[in-house]
This record gives sequence, C-alpha cells and structure tokens, in this order.
Amino acid sequence: MTARGTNPNFLNGVPELLILCLLADETMYGYEIVQAIRARTGSVVAVGEGVVYPVLHALEADGALRTKRKSVDGRSRIYYSLTAAGKRRLARLTNDWTSLAAAIRGVLKGGKDAQSFS
Amino acid sequence: MHSLFPELRERLLSGGVAPRHVRRYRTELAEHLADLTAEEIRAGLNQKDAEAAALARLGTVDELAQAMLSQPKLRAWSVRAPWAVCALAPLAILAIARGLALLVLWTGWQIFLPGANTPFGAQHVSWIGNAWFQFGRLIYFGTPFALGWALCVLAARQRLRAGWPVAGMFLVAFLATVQSVDANRAAISGAGHIHIGFVFGPSPQAFAGNLAYAAILFASALLPYLVWRWREGRAAAA
Repeated sequence: MTARGTNPNFLNGVPELLILCLLADETMYGYEIVQAIRARTGSVVAVGEGVVYPVLHALEADGALRTKRKSVDGRSRIYYSLTAAGKRRLARLTNDWTSLAAAIRGVLKGGKDAQSFS
Repeated sequence: MHSLFPELRERLLSGGVAPRHVRRYRTELAEHLADLTAEEIRAGLNQKDAEAAALARLGTVDELAQAMLSQPKLRAWSVRAPWAVCALAPLAILAIARGLALLVLWTGWQIFLPGANTPFGAQHVSWIGNAWFQFGRLIYFGTPFALGWALCVLAARQRLRAGWPVAGMFLVAFLATVQSVDANRAAISGAGHIHIGFVFGPSPQAFAGNLAYAAILFASALLPYLVWRWREGRAAAA
C-alpha cells in the first residue's frame, strides 16, 4: 500500500482552479482528474480522492463544466469538460492566484518584491 | 457495492443533498473505488489489501459526506425552499389542473350537449362524449390524490421533515374540497357559463360530505407517509 497523505487546505479554492486548468486541455473523468492532479503537482497537493466529485458537481451546477456519460469497457464513466463560462472562470481564478502567489512570494522574500493584491 | 455507500446515501439525503447528486456521487465513487483497487492490484497487492488501500484513498464516510454537504448548490429545492415545493407548487398545479378540467367540461358541453342547459346530470351522450367528460372528471378529482401522493413520495425520497409536506397535503385537501363547479346556460345570451366557487359545505349535508372528502384526500397521502416514517424509525432503531 502506497503511503499518501492528504492536505487539509486542499479545499480552499485550489481544487476548483486545478480542475478547471486540467479540463481546459482535455475531457476527463474523476479518477483521471485526481491522478492528473497528483502527477502534475508531484503529490504536493493530495486529497481524499472521493471529495473531488462534490467540487465537480458544484462547478457543473454553476455552468462551468458540462458532463457526458460514456460506457468504456463495460464501465460507466462521466466525462467532464469546460464550458465557455468555465473558461472565463479559469482566466479569472488564474489571475487571482497569480497575483496572490506573487504577493506571498514577495512577503517570503522580505517584502522587497511585494506587490499590491486586491 | 461497498457497505459505506448506504450510510453515505442516508447522510447525504438527510442533509438535504438533491437525490440526483447523491445517485451520481455514489456511481462515481463506486467506479473510482474500482479503479483504485485495480491500481493497487497492479502495484502488487492482493485483492483484500488492495480493497482496503483503495478505501483509505477514497476517504472516510465523514470526509465524503462533509465534502458534499459543504456545497450549498447541491441542495435539493425542497430543502432550499420547502414552502415553494411543498405548498406553492402543488397549489399551482392544482389550479392548472382544475382549469384544464373546466376546459374539458366546457368543450364537452359545447360539442356533445349543445342544447342542454347544463352538462351535469343524467343525459344521453355518445360514448366518445362520455369518455371526454370522464377524462375531465379524472383530472378534476384525480389531481388532488396525485399531488398528495407526490408529496408523500417527495418527503420519503428526500428524507424531509414532516412539517412542510404535511402542511402541503392539508392545503391540497382543503382547497380541492372547497372548490365547487356550477355550469348553466344563461337565460338571455344562451351561451352558457361555467363558474367555479370556493365554498365549504353550504348545507349541513354538504358540509359532512365535504369534510369526509377532505379527510379521505388528506389521509390517502398522510397514511402512506406515516407508515414510511414508522418503518424508517424501526429500521434506524434496529
């Protein structure tokens, strides 16, 4: 059994950004999304894997994602893809997170490079 | 399906999550669990250990339930606005159905009984005319029962508290009972008119009849609901 810790802060807006970012490239189902998050973040961002689905459902309820059910090898898969509203949301979140990361980086460096963040 | 799913389902429904989201969540989790188990087997674990590892990765019932319950957008409308779902919507449907029934009565009167002073009472009418009038009666008298049962099913399916569904059942039974239809050909114009009024028992006999009808309507929806709650209570206690 592989030891995998979870990050309790994962749910503070990060999954939404990561999910939208991943789905901007291709359609995926839940298991693929979780594996992709793990792979692309080098397991730095880890989560109890089942909790990704409520975020997906909520994004779909907001109109940011659309779903399509497919049968693959006898298994029922629900594939998620980005809508136009989802692309706009991704752009906004990316901008927010980039600004936030820059601000935090500035603080960590001693405030010299700090930028205003709104 | 794993034993965690029935518990998770009850937690989510009791917490007000819409049944369609609960259903899909369960399906997706079951598929995810199967994928994780297969992955752990590929990594060298035996079936039993792989299942245990997969479950640990999926999350506990508490984590899975909390993640869903923390999304207010996934709540059922019957939880977000119970007054609208349990009271307003049934009354609106009742009003539409009664209007439709009156339309059926009016058209039947004009087409199949053009010379009659009223469409009510024993009159000779063709089989198709009879079928048409019975269709109208079915809508008029069947809708309140259907609405009561729908509220009963909704309350049971979404684990609603008793207050609003029972209030909705009572309102439907009351308003369905106090409506009365009168249809007469006007003496002057001859065109005829249909009138729907709200009256509860204009005479002692009618009052008793109305009360009995309201009681039957209310009980037909309430009794199955009470039986369901009793069974649920017993199952929870066991």
